[in-house]
Amino acid sequence: MTENKARCTCCEELTEQEMLEQLDELITDYLDKPGGLIPALQISQSRFGYLPESVLKKISSRFNKSYSEVAGVVSFYSFFSTVPRGRYVVRTCLGTACYVRGGKEVLSSLKKELGIDVGETTEDRQFSLDVGRCFGACGLAPVIMINDDVHQRVKPTKIRELLKAYTDEKVEEPCTTNAMGDA
Amino acid sequence: MNLPKKYITSFEELRQLREQFNRVEGISQMLVCAGGGCLASGSDEVISALRKQIDAHQLNQQANVMAVGCMGLCVEGPVMLMLDDMTFYQRVKPEDAEEIIQQHLLNHQVVERLVARNSFGDKVTPSINDIEFFNKQTKIVLRHCGRIDPESITDALQAGIYQGLGKVLADMTAEDVIEEMKNSGLRGRGGAGFSTGMKWSFTRNSPTDQRYMLCNADEGDPGAYMDRSVLEGDPHSLIEGMIIGAYAIDASQGYVYVRAEYPLAVSRLQKAIDEARQYGLLGENILGSSFSFNLEIRMGSGAFVCGEETALMASIEGRRGEPRPRPPFPAQKGLWDKPSNLNNVETFASVPEIINRGSSWYSAFGTKESKGTKVFALAGSVRNTGLVEVPIGTSLGELVYDIGGGMLDNKPFKAAQLGGPSGGCVPKQHLNVPLDYESLSELGAIMGSGGLIVMDDEACMVDVARFFIEFVQEESCGKCVPCRVGTKRMLEILTRICEGHGKMEDIDQLIELGELIQETSLCGLGQTAPNPVLSTIRHFREEYVEHIRDHHCRAGVCPSLVRAPCQTACPAGVDIPGFVSLVGEKRYTEALRLHRNRNPLASICARVCFHTCEEKCRRSALDQPVSIRAIKRFMVDQELETLLPEIRVDVTNARRKIAIIGGGPAGLSCAFFLARLGYKPVIYEKEPRPGGMLVQAIPAYRLPRETIAREIRMIENMGVEIKTDHVLGRDFTIQQLKDEGADAVFIAIGAPEGMKVDLVGSDAKYVVDVMTFLREYNIRGSVPVGRNVAVIGGGNAAIDAARTAIRLGAETVTVVYRRTKEEMPAYAEEIDEAIQEGVIIKNLTAPQQIECDSTGKVIAVKCRPMRLGEFDRSGRRRPEANQDECFKLAADQVILAVGQRLDPTVFDGNLSFNNKGWLKADPVSGLTSMSGVFAGGDSVTGPMSVVTAIADGERAAVGIDHYLSGEQHAFWRTEQENTTDYDPESDPVPYPRESLRVTQVEKRRNNFDEVEQAWNETEAVRQAKRCLRCDYGKCPDHQKESSNA
Repeated sequence: MTENKARCTCCEELTEQEMLEQLDELITDYLDKPGGLIPALQISQSRFGYLPESVLKKISSRFNKSYSEVAGVVSFYSFFSTVPRGRYVVRTCLGTACYVRGGKEVLSSLKKELGIDVGETTEDRQFSLDVGRCFGACGLAPVIMINDDVHQRVKPTKIRELLKAYTDEKVEEPCTTNAMGDA
Repeated sequence: MNLPKKYITSFEELRQLREQFNRVEGISQMLVCAGGGCLASGSDEVISALRKQIDAHQLNQQANVMAVGCMGLCVEGPVMLMLDDMTFYQRVKPEDAEEIIQQHLLNHQVVERLVARNSFGDKVTPSINDIEFFNKQTKIVLRHCGRIDPESITDALQAGIYQGLGKVLADMTAEDVIEEMKNSGLRGRGGAGFSTGMKWSFTRNSPTDQRYMLCNADEGDPGAYMDRSVLEGDPHSLIEGMIIGAYAIDASQGYVYVRAEYPLAVSRLQKAIDEARQYGLLGENILGSSFSFNLEIRMGSGAFVCGEETALMASIEGRRGEPRPRPPFPAQKGLWDKPSNLNNVETFASVPEIINRGSSWYSAFGTKESKGTKVFALAGSVRNTGLVEVPIGTSLGELVYDIGGGMLDNKPFKAAQLGGPSGGCVPKQHLNVPLDYESLSELGAIMGSGGLIVMDDEACMVDVARFFIEFVQEESCGKCVPCRVGTKRMLEILTRICEGHGKMEDIDQLIELGELIQETSLCGLGQTAPNPVLSTIRHFREEYVEHIRDHHCRAGVCPSLVRAPCQTACPAGVDIPGFVSLVGEKRYTEALRLHRNRNPLASICARVCFHTCEEKCRRSALDQPVSIRAIKRFMVDQELETLLPEIRVDVTNARRKIAIIGGGPAGLSCAFFLARLGYKPVIYEKEPRPGGMLVQAIPAYRLPRETIAREIRMIENMGVEIKTDHVLGRDFTIQQLKDEGADAVFIAIGAPEGMKVDLVGSDAKYVVDVMTFLREYNIRGSVPVGRNVAVIGGGNAAIDAARTAIRLGAETVTVVYRRTKEEMPAYAEEIDEAIQEGVIIKNLTAPQQIECDSTGKVIAVKCRPMRLGEFDRSGRRRPEANQDECFKLAADQVILAVGQRLDPTVFDGNLSFNNKGWLKADPVSGLTSMSGVFAGGDSVTGPMSVVTAIADGERAAVGIDHYLSGEQHAFWRTEQENTTDYDPESDPVPYPRESLRVTQVEKRRNNFDEVEQAWNETEAVRQAKRCLRCDYGKCPDHQKESSNA
């Protein structure tokens, strides 16, 4: 399933305590907005990479909603994750165009290369593997997305090289600001 | 353009501002696509390389590089457009930047290697206006995409965006706007196609204190990305359309619901909203009017069901995105229970242009019921993948072949899938279907959001159906039972069919279940979920049947049914990786034995087989397919003494009497397999020599007579008796055979009669039917040949006759065929060899009349040039008469090769025929409508290939044995273990495909010696090693079962 994408992963070392400290400031703007819960969850996940139970509990109390309601929303949408994700989320498109042009072979090559199954994260927390349903690059099928980069016409035999470019990257990725901004 | 930010307070100011922004003269604008597709192809690097070059050449005053939205031709990305002379560059790399600046900008010369070529590849077409992909489109929704900087509001204002809004606020009432929308005929582009004007008036007429204007940009249908392109390429037009709509329904708040998978779209739209607010185009008192409207983005969180309107609203409200029953409709009770209107991105993007140019201008596009244009996302096995916008009602064929540039690698078009998981397939016989809401729904497909996936024969329709059901099953929100449980059951059934465990009744169960889910689901997701399954069953039922009954996936896709795609593609099911890898280890005897296990006529097929196996070879994805037939040719040449295959002696079977009528490949194959089960069948052959078409039609230069004789002798040595000169209907009847004690009869008399044509002069002297011509020469040893021979037809028989005529001394031989060379049914290599030998092929030429002199002798064929028109049921373009004059082709002999037929008068008894005049027979056993009488080969299928006839003979042998014994004994059908060495971790050998050498033209065109020359051992072994061994570690499930049983 279409899974989340951790926009900023450089802060993955945050302890839950630190998360809770930052949370207030993060979600204040959304408390009074109609329908502000989902944007608040989105921005929290973007900052922390995932949504641990303690964070969800705090969000529910700040929004004056029951924990079960908030947990229900989180479990409904595949974007949200309650477990830590890898530094890079690799998503293989299995939309129709990619499917008929060999997306399945790309996925099995990724599984083999990373040694994990769909929905799992590598032990070193570098990569998570997910399946997506169309990234809107059907003209260039098959495609995969690694975080926000779209890679087109991926050949199963070239997966190793492609991933290597990420494992070799020594510089910390800058925090990309959440695209939602001050919506 | 660093113009000061400005708060615009009136329509007049807006108009003036537009004029102020006129682009500065004398600057060459270079528009580089920064749409999602081109970015993935690296266009951001191209942009910075170009900018660097401009700096280096100090051209900042003369040239400007602008990053624009999607231009549509994603497949050729990164693409760029030079605005000064409209040159369109494609597949631009950063290292091309210097050349573009130097040659194009400074020397005013087009960089030819980076521009498109016409469809023949012989002419460059630098201007975007000359490229078929672009000039056949009509861009309304995408009018600004790829032409403006999506991140600049000044660029948007200059392009005239927001002028429509100005006009609305200054001169139109809300009712006027709604009326204009109704008159335009605009229908919702999200898929359902409901009238936009009507929808707006419903929402406006609901009394309330608050209304909402919503935009659905949760483009979840896999295969559709037009919304993304508008969001990324022209966000201001969407905003303008939404404000106009909000004004019409009197809404003060709006939301754009964008999916999270589109981060670039979200950031560009956010920037556009912010800038519009700064310019007074959003917010309080827009353009100085009393109308106020605020717009916010809400991001989806990865739930496909949120594309459904009530689920989308639940999601904006911050809840689980579950749909609710309607009514009340959102027009009465929508977001936060207030009247709300939801439209799709494409719909909103059309609105400003309708206001600007008027409803009557807009409604001139499209069909009677569906007005305007529609954007399609062309993807799959088509050459020009990308986004295209055409008037509604354009035919599917035009879209695929004219704008789409035809099929990738010239593969046959199989079907187009429209509308994603809610849609259906359109098969090739409907290529002329106009793409409008009504015509598509008649075929069981939908317009949907406009995703159009083109599929060739490598797509398995059952697998496609399973794919979509798996998708909706995963995306079902689970609220209602029919969708949640029903799609699960459908998925289970489809999975079992794909794995070879299906039952025949599964097909009807899928239909029943599907219709139930359609009728009882809560929301659109469930109501449309079964469409892909129902539509593939409707158009491709035979593929379902093959999966269930024959455990056969013709596309070679379903893993459990496919050991290796070449083997699946072989009609006879020969273990191709098996014999190829044995040749690779020089184990020739074992290799040949393995081949003959499924196909006795190995030497014959090594010469004449049309090798569908090579077309499906997976190595072609790497470089080129393995030369399977050529390897086979080497293998059969190593046979010194013909060895008999495994024969299971059976006294009961030996006593049974089986009569086979016809000694062609089908009859010979049936006899061979019956003999392996201990039967002693008798073949009755009409001609003095057995072999059927092999000896009568195929000339010796392709198939030496000794080769045929050798394999027929092998079959005789297995206890088969062949009686020649026995003519059905003259010397004996089927009833007589039965009266004489035949326990079973197999009819395999082929399609021996040439088809008559309705052509003036076809009864003239020296007009001859192709089968008569070939048979005369091949069996009797001589045939009269003219000086100037015209052959009418484009099949293998036509080419065989042409090449035979050349060898017998004809001065000119011309093949006249009404379609193109690519569409000739004859094998491409045969056509090429014929051309080398001097045969002239006149394509797109239709014979009109055969002209004779006073003695009744042929003197000429009057021909008319043709051009390609609409698509016919076979998915090929029908030739139409051209305006050009007819011409005369001088000829003193005309050979008619327009088709073959079966003469029904030779049969007695109650045999049934199909509407094409061929015998009806069960596809599994070959049993006809008469008990104990079986049929196969060309007389059932119509003219096919040698290997399909061989396969038919095998099936009939199994059918006859089952009919007589009540049991299955086909021991040869069990897959055999491959005992050759193979290291799955090894890299594929690097050397390329080789073809067989042919004798030089001068040495072959005067005689009937074999044209193809076999390889030496080194070459054969090397080529065999190219096999990727797709069969490695695979034994199909159903095979495991049957071998365990």
